[in-house]
Order: sequence, then structure tokens, then C-alpha cells
Amino acid sequence: MRAELNFFGKTLDMAQQRRRRALVVVIYAALAALMAVLYLLTHWRGSGAYMFWAAMLACRLFLGGYYNGGLVKPFNNRPPRQYAAAPPLLLLKLRIYQPVLPDDDTAYRNDERELNQRDRAHYLAYQAVGVSVIIPMFLASLRIMHPGLLASVGMTPDQMYYGLLLITLTLFLTLPQSILLWTEPDMEEEKA
Amino acid sequence: MQENTLPPGESGLYNRIAVLRAERGISRQALADAVGVNYQTIGFLERGDYGPSLKLAFQIAAYFALPVEAVFSMEPFQPLSRQVYGLKSSSLATNPIGSNPHES
Repeated sequence: MRAELNFFGKTLDMAQQRRRRALVVVIYAALAALMAVLYLLTHWRGSGAYMFWAAMLACRLFLGGYYNGGLVKPFNNRPPRQYAAAPPLLLLKLRIYQPVLPDDDTAYRNDERELNQRDRAHYLAYQAVGVSVIIPMFLASLRIMHPGLLASVGMTPDQMYYGLLLITLTLFLTLPQSILLWTEPDMEEEKA
Repeated sequence: MQENTLPPGESGLYNRIAVLRAERGISRQALADAVGVNYQTIGFLERGDYGPSLKLAFQIAAYFALPVEAVFSMEPFQPLSRQVYGLKSSSLATNPIGSNPHES
């Protein structure tokens, strides 16, 4: 895990656990707010994909894990792709990616402890994703057995299942990194 | 008095990494670079919060040019001074200088 977050060229010190926890809370609050807004605007009809892109953007900018940017080093433990020419996309030109030198090994590579932490975080996240899959199954059974019970919720069953699917997708993309950011203790500043 | 009085943390292993590092004036970063880990991991190892793989344990021991059991232990370490001079003084007490230890 990196101690500093490179955000559009600005470096933010995230060595303290409380800062990382605050970041996780803010990210999930923002994702929940976006999900609520999308429901109010369109009932997630055709707009559910924005949740996916928002979660991916959160990974790229803050959480890391799947990209070179963000606090958590890439899960695949491989060096980032090197571009010979300037990246064609506007987002790349805006320096969302952190520049990593080819020989800067420690900037992307997880050591054995970090790999252990990564695997443990995925195990814990797997449990949460499993629970979020079980809930819609339970609700579906409830709806078949007691058709009138969920009528007061104000959502159609399809909307409810789709919402839970979006939550599962968001957790799948962001939870392992969030567990790592939440549990890793304060990083030591002194390198001596 | 024990050299490593801290509980071994989550790993259940005691180690002498901090002592050896201080003794030889080696920074965490230098040790981390030599054995190919993050310097934070050296801190976790020193506190006993992380148990190294066999490979890493041997790498660290080789870096200090010591056998692996001199760096890591399941039991708390005794101070090196006691191990060296304690043995010497006890052998001196039982076998004073000038006496032949094989006589008796």
C-alpha cells in the first residue's frame, strides 16, 4: 500500500489510518448518494451502468487495486503497461495515472506480507459479496410465499433486485481495497 | 532479563532483527531493499506482527551472516551478553583458571 495519494499531480499524505478510514467513508457515502440520485431520476432504468463507472473511477483515483493509480498497489502484482507515445485519452492526459518508472519496482510490486493482506481482504470481501447475493434470493422467496409483504416498500421487485445487484457489483469492485485501507495500521514515516 | 521482552505479536515468533539492525547501523530501508520487501514489512517483522516465509527468514539471516535460529526463535531470546559471558563465567566458576577440567 502506498503512503501517499497522487491526486491530479497533488500529493496527499495518507499514512495515517484515520485518514484512510475517512476516505473510505466518503467514497461509500458518495457512491450511496449517487445510487439514490440515479433511483430518484430514472429508477435505475438505463442508468445503472453509471454505478459501475463510478466504482471504477473511485478505484482508479483513490482506492487502487485494479489500476496503477490509487493507494492500494495493483492486485495482479505486475508492472504497469508502459506507453511509448502520449496516451490518447483525455483522462490519461490529465495525469490520472501515476507515472511509474520501469525500474521503480516497489511502486507496484506487493511483497509477501502485502500479498497475504491482499488475499485476506479478498476472503473477507467474498463473504460480504456472498451475503449481498443471498439477500435478493431470500427476498424472492419471501415474495413468492407472501406476495403482499413487500408491497409497502414502494419499489417494484425488479427494481429491488436490480438495486441489490448494483450494490453487489459495487462491493465486488471496491470492498477488498477498502478493507485493506481500513485495517492497515498507521504507516511509519521514518524510513531509517 | 530477556533481550526481546515484547510479546511476539500475531506471528508467535520472536526475532532479533531490530537488535541486529541497530548493532550494525542498518536502516529499515536498506534491509528491506536487500531482501526485496517493503520497509513497512520490516517494521511488522520486528514487532512480531508478521511471520516471514521460510525464504524471507533465510534471506534475512543470510543478510546478517547468521544462522536462521540466531535471528528467529519460538522462545524469547536471552541477551547475547548473557549467552556469551554467562557461559564463560559459569564455566570459570566450575573450572577456575589453571585447573584441568578433565581431572575430576
